[in-house]
Amino acid sequence: MSQSTHTAVLPSIKPQRKFSIGKTLMWVLLAILLVTQLYPLLWLAIYSLKTNEEILSGQFFALPHVPQWSNYSAAMESGNYVKYLFNSLKVTLITMVGVLFLSSLVSFAISRFKWKYGQAVMVIFLIGMMIPMQATLLPLMIIFKNLDFLNTHKALIFPYIAFQTPIAVFILSGFMKSIPHEIEESAIVDGAGVFRIFWNIVLPVSVPPMVTVCILTFINIWNEYILAATFISSERLKTLPFGVYSFVSQYSVNYGAIGAFLVLGALPVIVIYFLLADKITKGMVAGAVKG
Amino acid sequence: MAKMNMKSILGLVLTGSLAISLTACGSNSNNGGNSEASNNAGATNAATEKPASNEKITITFQNIYPDPTDPKHNMMKKIVDQYQSEHPNVKIELDSLNTDQQKQKLKTQAASKEVPDITIVNPAAQMQPYVDAGLFAPLNDMVEQNGLKDTFQDGVLDFYTFDNNLYALPDGNNIGVVYYNKELFEQAGITKTPETFEEMVEDVKTLKAKGIQPMAIGEKDTWTGSFLFMNVLLRTNGGPGFLSDVVAGKKTFEDPAFVEAVDAMQNLIQAGAFQEGVTSFDYNAGENLFKTGKAAMYYMGSWATGGIETSEAVKGKVGVFKFPTVNGKGDANQFMLAPGSAFAISADSKHLQETKDFLNYFMLNFPKEAFAVKGAVGLAQKVDGDFKAAGYSDMAINVLDLFKEVKGGDLAFDNTMNPGTAQGHLTSIQNIFVQKKDSAEVAKEHQTAYESNK
Amino acid sequence: MNVLKVSKLTIALFVLPCLLLYVCLVFVPIIVSLYTSLIDWNGIGESKFIGLENFKDLLFHDKVFWPAVRHTLMFAVFSMLEIPIALFVAILLSRFVKKPNFLVSSYFMPVILSVVIIGQLWKTIYNPASMGGMLNQVLEWVGLGSLQQQWLTDPDIAMYSLYFVALWQYLGYHTLIQFTGIQNIPSDIYEAAKIDGAEGLKADWHITLPMNVPIFKISIVLAFIGSLQSFDMIMVMTGGGPGNATDVIATHMYRMSILSMKYGYGSAIAAILVVVCLVATVVINYGFNRLERKYT
Repeated sequence: MSQSTHTAVLPSIKPQRKFSIGKTLMWVLLAILLVTQLYPLLWLAIYSLKTNEEILSGQFFALPHVPQWSNYSAAMESGNYVKYLFNSLKVTLITMVGVLFLSSLVSFAISRFKWKYGQAVMVIFLIGMMIPMQATLLPLMIIFKNLDFLNTHKALIFPYIAFQTPIAVFILSGFMKSIPHEIEESAIVDGAGVFRIFWNIVLPVSVPPMVTVCILTFINIWNEYILAATFISSERLKTLPFGVYSFVSQYSVNYGAIGAFLVLGALPVIVIYFLLADKITKGMVAGAVKG
Repeated sequence: MAKMNMKSILGLVLTGSLAISLTACGSNSNNGGNSEASNNAGATNAATEKPASNEKITITFQNIYPDPTDPKHNMMKKIVDQYQSEHPNVKIELDSLNTDQQKQKLKTQAASKEVPDITIVNPAAQMQPYVDAGLFAPLNDMVEQNGLKDTFQDGVLDFYTFDNNLYALPDGNNIGVVYYNKELFEQAGITKTPETFEEMVEDVKTLKAKGIQPMAIGEKDTWTGSFLFMNVLLRTNGGPGFLSDVVAGKKTFEDPAFVEAVDAMQNLIQAGAFQEGVTSFDYNAGENLFKTGKAAMYYMGSWATGGIETSEAVKGKVGVFKFPTVNGKGDANQFMLAPGSAFAISADSKHLQETKDFLNYFMLNFPKEAFAVKGAVGLAQKVDGDFKAAGYSDMAINVLDLFKEVKGGDLAFDNTMNPGTAQGHLTSIQNIFVQKKDSAEVAKEHQTAYESNK
Repeated sequence: MNVLKVSKLTIALFVLPCLLLYVCLVFVPIIVSLYTSLIDWNGIGESKFIGLENFKDLLFHDKVFWPAVRHTLMFAVFSMLEIPIALFVAILLSRFVKKPNFLVSSYFMPVILSVVIIGQLWKTIYNPASMGGMLNQVLEWVGLGSLQQQWLTDPDIAMYSLYFVALWQYLGYHTLIQFTGIQNIPSDIYEAAKIDGAEGLKADWHITLPMNVPIFKISIVLAFIGSLQSFDMIMVMTGGGPGNATDVIATHMYRMSILSMKYGYGSAIAAILVVVCLVATVVINYGFNRLERKYT
């Protein structure tokens, strides 16, 4: 891993004034992207203060006539914001830890152990990688009914982990394969066992792909509704997407409250993400240095 | 090379115990959260023998009133709270879902025989598969024990009755009507509501020429256009029963009455009745055009009354009329009938008796509470009370008057036909909103869909 | 070659917890739905074994199925075409921007937004001008009124409008993944290349591209998964309509097993989906194994 020692330094190029036109173009491009990708947040914020009529009239640029702060109180109280947020955080965090832990074990075995069935195990995981969760709804229902898991968070956490592991194994084992074999050879010479190689050497180096896995897991789980709606019935166990859809009735939808609820739902995530963004990137790089 | 040494074994043990402790943590926190649930589950199991009256039991009430800002939700909550305070041993667990999700959940639950104590179904053909599979408990005794049956309007319970057994109690009973904006009609110089479909098409053209959007519809949801189309068919067929004739083998979809209905429907569409981009408007967005005074007419079930009368933009400007005759055929007093979604009880309910008792209480209190929150237009039950004095709008009273003139009618397509055919129909009708088609071709599509789903 | 020789017990401890969970909750359900694809079942009542009848109907008589497959594959192709753009943005970010994290994070934002909101947002963009649609209004203002379209309701255009929403939503996602990959390319390689006279874009061509091959693989797999599972967005925007113009495999499956209550038939679609996944996985892996061998 000696080559990784300098990874921390970005391959940045010294100021090149001669390309200033190119640079301007680049900044224009990046700025346009910034606007198109961040605008939805602003749009959502405005949306959350509108009345239903204003929203449904579909005017893209229009501002709310009178800001409807009541949308927020509806979202807080009626949407059970705090309770659902807590449940979502709990389910997502446990799922993330589970996915990371289980899939890194398997990935390590697939990419470093000398055994006959490594490739076969990999193939089994690859098969399930693209299966949509909804396709397994009914079989899962029957399994959970028999395990008495229905209407508990277990009925969400276990399938969430199971469905995230293929992509996690795919990413992690791909990365672990690229770690030079000399390191465990020298570790063995030093008398380190399998577990120590895994825990003290391979895992720390694998932080970058693990961060990627975390992000993927989060994206797929945070807004998941179909499994949650099917397996959870009790109010106190429901997750954030229930709050969103609770404003959808048979013949009416309270769009403003949905907007407010989504702002409230996205807020903690955005705050955490932006606070951690630096740490995450640093983590990615620091991991590599340790090797 | 790497033989396992003591250290690595220790390491593995550590990993293992870490895994175990992790799982334990996980399940602990789960249990923490669910202790109530598992207690209930325990109670549930114990209760199968013979429920003692003061034993704690939980009844799961799956419903489609999730929106706390919707009066129906609060009405439900109120009755449930009342019942719970009168029966401290009973806990009603509300599983409130939006309609689409509830349908999917119930289907998954039904497939694994895990139907909640109380659930929601749609009438007639839509609930038939559940009844055939023996998933619902008959409610005959429950509606007869204290006169609950007599609170319902005559005949409405027939849509939920199979082989003389009643399986569900509806929350509503509506008819298809045309709402219109009096002000916009005036602006276009239209002095009276159309009595024939041909007049209606002319009015559409007049409105269009004045730059007024003639009609609104939310055709992304497909049933909306189907509901309107079926009313046309009810006229061209000279009366109700076209679909049942098809099912009975007496007619096919290529019958002249059906083709004529498609023709008429296309006339209306081609006259420019509906807004641009109509198939991307969902129900709410479509209705909103009318509610904000941007469209002159709106064909919908009478359940829309509440939403329209509370909308500031059209307050006091809206009237209703019966769907007109088509080519001189049909009777304007025959309506599209829309018996509402209904409460059914699981045949496997662990607390069948208590659940029946609760639903009985719920339905007995339903009309009174609905009347109080101004939600009594289009109820399936009879309502005592002076609507005018209670502050119902003139339009609401007009709608209520139309109910008195109902002389039969037809159910929506998917309440009569099997789901496969219904999907074919919905897609086919949505298509004619986008482009003009040969009506005979549309009829043929229907026949093909019907035959392949028999 | 892997070098760690370990006991069976060790292997079991590393592999079994994850494998068991996965097999029970993903693999077994897939097998079950393969079986249900052979029966005629409305999902509730009696079922009847009918062999390959469902597949026969699906492959030869279903007018919606093949267009849905085409839409799904096109979806995948478009998503993959986006990856080079994402890579380009990622290179710009990591090379020329001092503090790129804010931009990377910002570009990523649309991915975490709920599909309910994405749908509403894009509807206000795509609506007809008379309904306040932003795109058509802008076209009108700049004098290109003739280019106005029924973005979501013209059967020939609607699908492309949906692809575009997905491209927009996932651009930041792929940029983030590519960016992470670039961050992990050791800088001494670039320095060595510099001595050989390779700098700037030339260095990217010779170093960043080949070094990022494994990351492309991840991106492509994710793009493919995203396309196969594109369901929510389509349901919110068009519901598969008008007619069946915007149906993909996933929406067709939903329509069949849930709305039409043909559970067996829906399972047959799921089975085909599994096959498509398998083929895609094999093709992607085969292609990349060759690429990786070439570059590493």
